[in-house]
Amino acid sequence: MFRLALNMLFGDRAKLAMLLCGLAFSALLMAQQTSVFFGIMSWTYTPVVNIRAHVWVSDPMVEQANDAKPMRDTELGRVRSVDGVAWAAPLHTSFLQARMVDGNFKLITLVGIDADTFAGAPAELSQGRIEDLRLPNTVIVDEWGAQLMGKTVKGADGKMHTVALKPGDVFEINDIEARIVGICKVRRAFTGGPFVYSTYDRAKTYTLGARRTLSFMLVEPNAGVTPSELCERIERDTGLKAWTSDTVIWDWSDRSLARNTFWWFWKNTGIPFSFGTAVALGLFVGIAVSGQTFYSFVLENLKYFAAIKAMGASMRVLAGMLVIQAVTAGLIGFGLGAGMAQAIGRVMIEKGMPPFVMFPQILFATLMLTMGISIVSAIIGIIKVSRVDAATVFRG
Amino acid sequence: MSAAHDIAVRTQGVDISFGSGETKVTALQQTEFTARRGELIMLVGPSGCGKTTLLSVIAGTLTPQAGTVEVFGQRLDKMNQEQLTAFRRKHLGFVFQSFNLIPTLSVVENVMVPLLIQGVGHAEARRRSLIILEKVGLKGREDGKPNALSGGQQQRVAIARALVHEPPLLICDEPTSALDKDTGAQIMEMVRELSRSPDRCVVVVTHDFRIFRFADRIAEMEDGRISRVVDDPSTIESQHHG
Ligand SMILES: Nc1ncnc2c1ncn2[C@@H]1O[C@H](COP(=O)(O)OP(=O)(O)OP(=O)(O)O)[C@@H](O)[C@H]1O
Ligand SMILES: [Mg+2]
Repeated sequence: MFRLALNMLFGDRAKLAMLLCGLAFSALLMAQQTSVFFGIMSWTYTPVVNIRAHVWVSDPMVEQANDAKPMRDTELGRVRSVDGVAWAAPLHTSFLQARMVDGNFKLITLVGIDADTFAGAPAELSQGRIEDLRLPNTVIVDEWGAQLMGKTVKGADGKMHTVALKPGDVFEINDIEARIVGICKVRRAFTGGPFVYSTYDRAKTYTLGARRTLSFMLVEPNAGVTPSELCERIERDTGLKAWTSDTVIWDWSDRSLARNTFWWFWKNTGIPFSFGTAVALGLFVGIAVSGQTFYSFVLENLKYFAAIKAMGASMRVLAGMLVIQAVTAGLIGFGLGAGMAQAIGRVMIEKGMPPFVMFPQILFATLMLTMGISIVSAIIGIIKVSRVDAATVFRG
Repeated sequence: MSAAHDIAVRTQGVDISFGSGETKVTALQQTEFTARRGELIMLVGPSGCGKTTLLSVIAGTLTPQAGTVEVFGQRLDKMNQEQLTAFRRKHLGFVFQSFNLIPTLSVVENVMVPLLIQGVGHAEARRRSLIILEKVGLKGREDGKPNALSGGQQQRVAIARALVHEPPLLICDEPTSALDKDTGAQIMEMVRELSRSPDRCVVVVTHDFRIFRFADRIAEMEDGRISRVVDDPSTIESQHHG
């Protein structure tokens, strides 16, 4: 009989298509919206991803990766003397105004990296060489930033369009020249502005010799020392705060900088709430759409379930039929929806906009919700069928 | 002749009413009805006299408010829903006016339903269904959908479905009223031929006097009661023709 239940489901292509569309649409909404949400939220810890250091050290008051409470350069010596430290390099980050040749101002994120080790340098340069940063007044800009800071010109077709900055172009930071020698590929950040890389010492000049410029120290542990072991030692010996750089965000109590950054934004900004309402809305619409389509599927088949009931099918058999139909439709709908979400996500990841992070947990939650919708619809169907009077089969 | 073991169906003092207060409709009133093993009995009477209601009572889909219902020695009025369901599964075959075939299933799958709900395996159910489909003249149409068939052919599928599990009681509500005259006669011929068995009882509700001749006896209903039982159907038929 269960085989017939499936044949009943697959027998009406038009109705099945409707049903699967509803389920797939809601699975897509759930998976896609949540992935974009976590994508945006994962931008909060972009520095951890771009800088690629094993251990980060900061002022003890720092709460997350975008939070700079600069320290004195002498702290570097104290950290280097901690047992288990292979090397430690300085890192400067700050938000500054850059003046373009056309007189426009743009907000940038200045990243100063150690000129000896290039610790924290971008992983990939699409143009230029990292060593050219050692030349006077040179910077490297990220691809997206080069676009943002580009100049707007009138094209041959009369329309305005933006020409991205390229190596050789110059702009000014605090009236000091910055000449582009390279373009890098890095992940975009929550704060949105272009990344401008210089050496740590050059960064000091750009910030007009601020007294403290050491935002973070990037530390490499000796062989055999795990990052979290080293973090403990550094904190114990220096009183500074030390962080690991793993980017798994599903754990609350850990010294991961990414995780702490993620949850800091979660707790301290309205973003999770406002975006969360959008996600919840998507979810609600999805549940309503697929619940409704399955319900109408059951209603349209109610007459036939009544006939089967009159012929002597027990409620157990009827319930089994409905559950099998619901679960099958739910699984296929989930597969289609999740597949579409993944396909859309791939395009988004390629374009880099909007951000998209589909954790396995998101897929699992979507599966659970889709199945939940199906099971609830099946239960409603079972109640309907159990109430239907077998005697109705005799009425035209 | 009417010894206890000959009785297939017997209702005594059955009352059924729908609704309450001002809108209360009495459908059956102290209804006495008897059908024997091996016979084809027709229930006839004006619209609204309670034929379908009586049929539902002896089919175990409707429980009377008063009276006793005995089918093959079992008291349906004493059974709960679960027992009634099990009873229908074993003892009953249905043929409906509007066929009630499941459009998303193939012809043979529709016929398999009574066997499958009895727990017969898929292959065996299919085998037995194909045999009976051949008997109703639908060999070659078994894997098509019911909607591709004519009304008469669909009703033949329904007959195959009603008899595939060889139930002792076959119940037909207006089996020919959706069909033209010749097709209706063919269907009744088929019902008669296929259901004939010394132990089986066939109850047919109909308005259609053209098929009266297929009955062994005819019970006439009026206002929720059996008003007359005719042992020779040709007498009623000639009344209508005359
Ligand atoms: N479920 C119900 N609710 C309310 N009234 C009903 C119900 N079923 C039947 N009735 C009423 O009971 C009476 C008998 O109905 P029934 O269907 O048994 O008549 P019938 O002889 O089969 O008529 P027809 O020839 O038109 O099929 C009618 O007055 C009908 O309106
Ligand atoms: Mg009727």
